[in-house]
Amino acid sequence: MSTSTTSAPPPGTQEPPPKTRHGPVRPPARRGWRRALRRDWQLYSLAVLPLLFFLVFRYLPMIGNVIAFRRFEPGGSILGEQWVGLRYVEMFLSDPTFWQVFRNTLWLGALTLVFCFPVPIVLALLLNEVRRTALKRFVQSVSYLPHFLSIVIVAGITLQMLATDGPVNHVLGWFGHDPVRFIQEPEWFRTIYVGSEIWQTAGWGTILYLAALTTIDEDLYEAARIDGANRWKQIWHVTLPGIRPTMITLLILNIGTFLAVGFEKILLLYNPLTYPTADVVSTYLYRAGVESNSFSYAAAIGLFEAVIGLVLITSANQLSRRTVGTSLW
Amino acid sequence: MVSILNTRPRTSVNQPTRGYRVFQGINGVILTGVVVVTLYPFVNIIARSFSGERQIRAGEVTLWPKGFNLTTYRIVFTDDTFWRGYGNTVLYTVVSTAVAMVLTTCYAYVLSKKHLKGRNVLVGIAVFTMFFSGGLIPHYVLITSLGLKNSVWAIALPNAISVFNLLVMKAFFESLPTELEEAAEIDGLSTYGILLRIVLPLSKAVVATMVLFYSVSFWNSWFQAFLYMDRADLMPVTVYLRNLIAGATGATDAGATTEQGSQVAANIQAVTIVLTSLPILCVYPFVQRYFVSGVMLGAVKG
Amino acid sequence: MKNAGHKNAGQLSRRQILSAAGFIGLATLTGCGSGDDGGDSKDLSKKQNGAMKEYRAGQQFKAAKPLSFSVLHNNNPVYPPKDSWLFWKELTQRTGITLKPVGVPLSDYEKKRSLLIGAGDAPFLIPKTYHPAEVAFVSSGAVLPVSDYVHLMPNFQDKVRKWKLEPELDSIRQSDGKYYLLPGLHEKVKSGYSLSFRTDVLDRLGLSLPTTWDEVYTVLKAIKAEYPDRYPFTDRWSTNTPYPAAALFSYLGQAFGVRAGWTYDNISWDDKAREFVFTGATDGFRQMLEYLRKLVDEKLMDPESFTQTDDDAVKKLLAEKAFVISANPQELVQNYRYNLEKQVKGARIEMIPVPLGPAGPVVLGGARLENGVMVSSKALKSDSFVAMMQFVDWLWYSDEGQRFAKWGVEGVTYTYADGRYKLKDGISLMGSAPDAPKDLQKDYGFFNGVFTYGGSWALVSSSFSPDEKKFQDVMAQRQELPIGPAHPLQSVEQEQATLWETPLRDHVTQNTLKFVLGKRPLSEWDAYVSELKAKNMDQLVGLHNKAYERYKKENG
Repeated sequence: MSTSTTSAPPPGTQEPPPKTRHGPVRPPARRGWRRALRRDWQLYSLAVLPLLFFLVFRYLPMIGNVIAFRRFEPGGSILGEQWVGLRYVEMFLSDPTFWQVFRNTLWLGALTLVFCFPVPIVLALLLNEVRRTALKRFVQSVSYLPHFLSIVIVAGITLQMLATDGPVNHVLGWFGHDPVRFIQEPEWFRTIYVGSEIWQTAGWGTILYLAALTTIDEDLYEAARIDGANRWKQIWHVTLPGIRPTMITLLILNIGTFLAVGFEKILLLYNPLTYPTADVVSTYLYRAGVESNSFSYAAAIGLFEAVIGLVLITSANQLSRRTVGTSLW
Repeated sequence: MVSILNTRPRTSVNQPTRGYRVFQGINGVILTGVVVVTLYPFVNIIARSFSGERQIRAGEVTLWPKGFNLTTYRIVFTDDTFWRGYGNTVLYTVVSTAVAMVLTTCYAYVLSKKHLKGRNVLVGIAVFTMFFSGGLIPHYVLITSLGLKNSVWAIALPNAISVFNLLVMKAFFESLPTELEEAAEIDGLSTYGILLRIVLPLSKAVVATMVLFYSVSFWNSWFQAFLYMDRADLMPVTVYLRNLIAGATGATDAGATTEQGSQVAANIQAVTIVLTSLPILCVYPFVQRYFVSGVMLGAVKG
Repeated sequence: MKNAGHKNAGQLSRRQILSAAGFIGLATLTGCGSGDDGGDSKDLSKKQNGAMKEYRAGQQFKAAKPLSFSVLHNNNPVYPPKDSWLFWKELTQRTGITLKPVGVPLSDYEKKRSLLIGAGDAPFLIPKTYHPAEVAFVSSGAVLPVSDYVHLMPNFQDKVRKWKLEPELDSIRQSDGKYYLLPGLHEKVKSGYSLSFRTDVLDRLGLSLPTTWDEVYTVLKAIKAEYPDRYPFTDRWSTNTPYPAAALFSYLGQAFGVRAGWTYDNISWDDKAREFVFTGATDGFRQMLEYLRKLVDEKLMDPESFTQTDDDAVKKLLAEKAFVISANPQELVQNYRYNLEKQVKGARIEMIPVPLGPAGPVVLGGARLENGVMVSSKALKSDSFVAMMQFVDWLWYSDEGQRFAKWGVEGVTYTYADGRYKLKDGISLMGSAPDAPKDLQKDYGFFNGVFTYGGSWALVSSSFSPDEKKFQDVMAQRQELPIGPAHPLQSVEQEQATLWETPLRDHVTQNTLKFVLGKRPLSEWDAYVSELKAKNMDQLVGLHNKAYERYKKENG
């Protein structure tokens, strides 16, 4: 995805971006700033406190990341003891296990993205078609519940469902299938993880779309109806475009953060037999005791992941801006 | 005509086609499935929280409490620390959510103005922090040296903006029709006035969503408080319950002894879930008002 | 930000970062203090404030003037700390020392400890530290090399001498030959886990409790013959731990003379060859796997044992789907027996001493050290450092201090007669007297895990339940396997070793399960060993043997 977009810039072929104000215009910097400040100083003033927040609570502590290139010793200087250059980066780049767990992370992240991203949209659209308000509210409220369960419980439920004498194996039994020990089979792990992830997040994920649905102008439906559009067409031409900004925003965000797979859940669901598919970077580091002992090594890997995330989100953003005209920035 | 339609959106006009009715049927089945699949574990958890240890351990409890037992609730409820923790949690959640809403709304509004010079940089500043963050120790040293330890600000300030929420909110603001704002600007309203009197009233849905998101995350969070509070009487209820669970199920590491009554061990997790999610579920209907689709925006325009 | 490519932003943040760096630097200085103090740390003459001139083993410590020391306190939810505890009051009265606890919830104690030390904000005394957690803080000098100061601790030295604990202490020495943790000291090994059997079922089948692993096999076989559709043995301690069936592997491994399960360590000492070897590739390890494979293969042991949750395992026991399970004395009494009695008519369950295997009547070595106390380096700068060390010595290592921390005040909380401790009426301990209005832990603050552990066998066993007493008495007769000599790695070596260790350990655990569950035939053992070699097994062993030689040369 990222490779195709960064190199070739197809200049507005299919869908020309409707809002082109921020595109290629490059006014003389100094003058432009003075004018912008004069015109929008109130807007800028609103940004002061948030910027202060980012500066103090986000960027200031980031200086600590320097320990990825310095040797940090717990209890010593928080900025590390001496420069070691790329030593820690080389350490993980040359560790074959790192690449295995990194591959697993990509797999799980990608599957989560592909399956968990669309489900809330579908669910929100389905909910939107429910006409009885009371019923709709009920279904909505119920579907949020899993969000409140701790991961320990979710993992516990998952394990119970999949036990050899659990419901899933019961159903398999009806079809004359021998019980499967799902959690001992590496090839099942991804399905199990993604499935439980969907179960836990889908309902809560609809909130944003349902809120977006409220902003759709009722007149648009009316106009569509007058044009003779049936419900499918209304959904396709009015509803979906109406929630598109939300969809795109969330999609880009999900792409950017897709390396952040659920550490705690994996920890609770995996076992040595499923390491080949289940072990991800964070669980590997956890077992290696790296967070507690080698802060520098963990920081180096953290930076590596951050760079990937940043590249991904930038690419996704560019792609989205070029193709559908919506973007984060 | 428009206003009539607005009050009862798109039910009366077109006669639904047969295909659509079939779809409604299927939709009902799907949503019923969703309800069953998500509701069952929760009902089970509530049942467990009221059940006796023997029945829980034997796996007898399904939809209804068996061997009704309130020991765990009683232990939790009669503990002063629990109530103090609850008070703290409410305080931390309210203050933190308020701070977060103000800062997030301001910044999201600024970022939603596409004409603004330097907007991309402002977005970049925020997005960058999604991926790069300082470690635990620098954060701790920062909070300590700012003198925020043992105060609500140690929880509220460092988490005032979630970039995810920020960008979602920004997308909402961008999707609002610009005409009203332009009209207000011509009427001489200041930027602050436009935000407060025009934009926010139009954005009740997103504001409600964000309040919900922030308050749920502050309500459930324990790590910040755990890090920056040194005294037991400042801890939120989540830390208290987390500690209780750890103590009751602490036989996991070799040599640790289970000194707690086994009833508590059997259902403390269930009780915890009920106690922490219940308040949010009670508040939820009030928030949900803003999600009921359709009318609001149309009414303003009509 | 680089991608945004705006010059202005770049300059702005660079300037900000510079000023921010200054700020953090300042914070570091004020937060951590300077790393090395000016004064000579060996010279203790200026740190005698409140210390006793003559302080000997067995003597009551009493500070010459009132002092107070900060201590990290693990807040156990079972007995949340109260200011009104008799423990605090009596302690101050006896020793003149007031402890200032910094409370940390038990659930995440290690995290906060590491943070506080890392940020230079730690209290003087940092108890409840399990070796090797202290190793991380050694190279920065955040914690004291306490071995330099044990001459201030006569009771500690006395016990080490009397109970011949020097080899154990050697095993926690760092590459500078010092140790940084004051561990809890046990006179005898306290064992934790073993198998428990449904004795009523055995009686019915005319079987007696097994004493060797071969007999375990026979007994399981006999139960299987009676219940062909069930697995006689199911097991637990498989989740929330990096090792499946962690308890079983620990004591089964012990019978085969290898460290496995919880006690697994990639490196173990081969006393005959006088060198370190890779545990997961030893013959003993293989024999252990062969034994378990036999159990699983003949359906004597539940294959889910290695992945199921504890609750599920216990559920099977209570539902009589299984009759044998791993236990420790608490779980045996408070969980299995308690619930079985309520649920299954006539059920009885008992824990046996760990069955014997090829290694004979042995227990793993090194088990006589417990978690212990780290001392923050900042304490050394205090002028009452000597008094503090004397105090630590009295409270954690003197007979009187240990008795006080465990049982409280004679005549108030307990009485002592004929070598037996008895709680006063109206005081309960861990449910010993359910109707008692007071609780020794909750209301008086004694028997607190932060202060109470280790000690003489008489004291340790004074709180055993009858079941545990029987079990421990047998186990205490067994001989300790020799422990490896000191072979501390240097911190750069350590970093390298850590990166080799985890993939190796993972491979061992994973194949342990594959072999046992029959997913991989044991005939592939050689292939397995060469896979380990490909994962730097030999280099890791070499590193340790090199460290051993080096340490031998440097420290005799």
